[in-house]
Amino acid sequence: MMTRIWMILSLCLWIFITSYRSNAVQSDIDCLRSIKQSLQDPENLLSSWDFSNSTEGFICRFTGVECWHPDESRVLNIYLSDMGLKGQFPLGLKNCTSLTGLDLSSNKLEGSLPANMSDIVGYITSLDLSSNNFVGEIPGTIGNCSFLNVLRLNNNHFTGQIPGQLGALKRMKEFSVANNGLTGQVPFFGNFTPSASSYAGNPGLCGGPLSPCEDTKKNNSGLIIGNTL
Amino acid sequence: MDRMPSQISTFSLLLFILVLYNFSTVDGNAEGDALFALKTRLTDPNNVLQSWDPTLINPCMWLHVTCNFQNSVSRVDLGNANLNGQLVPELGQLVNLQYLEIFGNNISGIIPEELGNLTSLVSLDLYENQLQGHIPKTLGKLQKLRYLRLNNNALRGTIPYSLTTITTLQVLDLSNNHLRGYVPVNGSFSHFTPISFANNPKLIVPALPQAPAPAPAPAPAPLVS
Repeated sequence: MMTRIWMILSLCLWIFITSYRSNAVQSDIDCLRSIKQSLQDPENLLSSWDFSNSTEGFICRFTGVECWHPDESRVLNIYLSDMGLKGQFPLGLKNCTSLTGLDLSSNKLEGSLPANMSDIVGYITSLDLSSNNFVGEIPGTIGNCSFLNVLRLNNNHFTGQIPGQLGALKRMKEFSVANNGLTGQVPFFGNFTPSASSYAGNPGLCGGPLSPCEDTKKNNSGLIIGNTL
Repeated sequence: MDRMPSQISTFSLLLFILVLYNFSTVDGNAEGDALFALKTRLTDPNNVLQSWDPTLINPCMWLHVTCNFQNSVSRVDLGNANLNGQLVPELGQLVNLQYLEIFGNNISGIIPEELGNLTSLVSLDLYENQLQGHIPKTLGKLQKLRYLRLNNNALRGTIPYSLTTITTLQVLDLSNNHLRGYVPVNGSFSHFTPISFANNPKLIVPALPQAPAPAPAPAPAPLVS
């Protein structure tokens, strides 16, 4: 009887000790699982993303995944550039709550970006979605990702205006929206001044380092800025 | 009289060889001595330091020690080794050290400021221990550092601004300590978010993202006919 009680007690103690030291963040594992499920991977480059054998820090060995600590399943950066991936922006990223870097550039991703970007990647410092097939407007909530240093949205099919909220990003060091379908006034960034090449290849952007925007009230001979196609 | 010059030259040759031999063993031994000083300050119930024999010519054959091609210590890997005790200033003598991995132990005491002399260091992982005292500002001299993980200790005081000068810093984790004061946001620290500083109750961390502001009125579009 006593030995049984001791066995149960030691089992409980062991479980307590291992769970206390184990910092495996289940949400991060769910995040990566959800990414793999939502994207098509025709070149099978995500084959290392195997969720069947879950030891401590196992996701840290996945292709393109960098963890905060090598023995703890908490994702720091995801680098999946040029992997032929198809599908929409993976909403499962919301569960990678410690994510600071995301590079999905040069894939075949499509659709529009979610309106609540800062809920999904709120702590992101480097976001590279360049060279994909994203459409729609750039969400204003990216302006609440206040730790962004690098934002690359170039070479997609974004349309509409660049949200003025992006001007609130005080840590911005590198910014490009080149080669999209954007129009209108560019945001005012304050200390940071993107060069004209950050905006190149868009039909109707104006302001900032580009030609000034024309006031619609002006009743003039119709100064045309940009293409008329 | 004829034999004198040849005796002198033989003697000086022997002396020269002896001196040379002495210097070569001192070089190897200095780093071995430094690591042995660490061993004497640590309690090692799992005997992971059993192979650390200071009578060997250099520490390069010791387990958990890696040397470069010049037989100088480049890595010390003692993570999750159930070690108790303290770190030693002699660690600062391992001038070619690139990886100092002593995480996940029961090490107490302070971080020696002499670690600032490890100018080749790429990774400093002392996380998950019971280290006390301040983060030495000498760590700002580690200009090749990429990983600085001191999380889950009992470190106090402020975060030295000297760390913002380390432009190579990629991963910073100071979470779960007793740090206080303001978190720097300049230099390399512009890449770090509140995640790196979480769970330091007296630390003043940069503000979290606010609720989305109302969308501004659309700006005038260019005239297109």
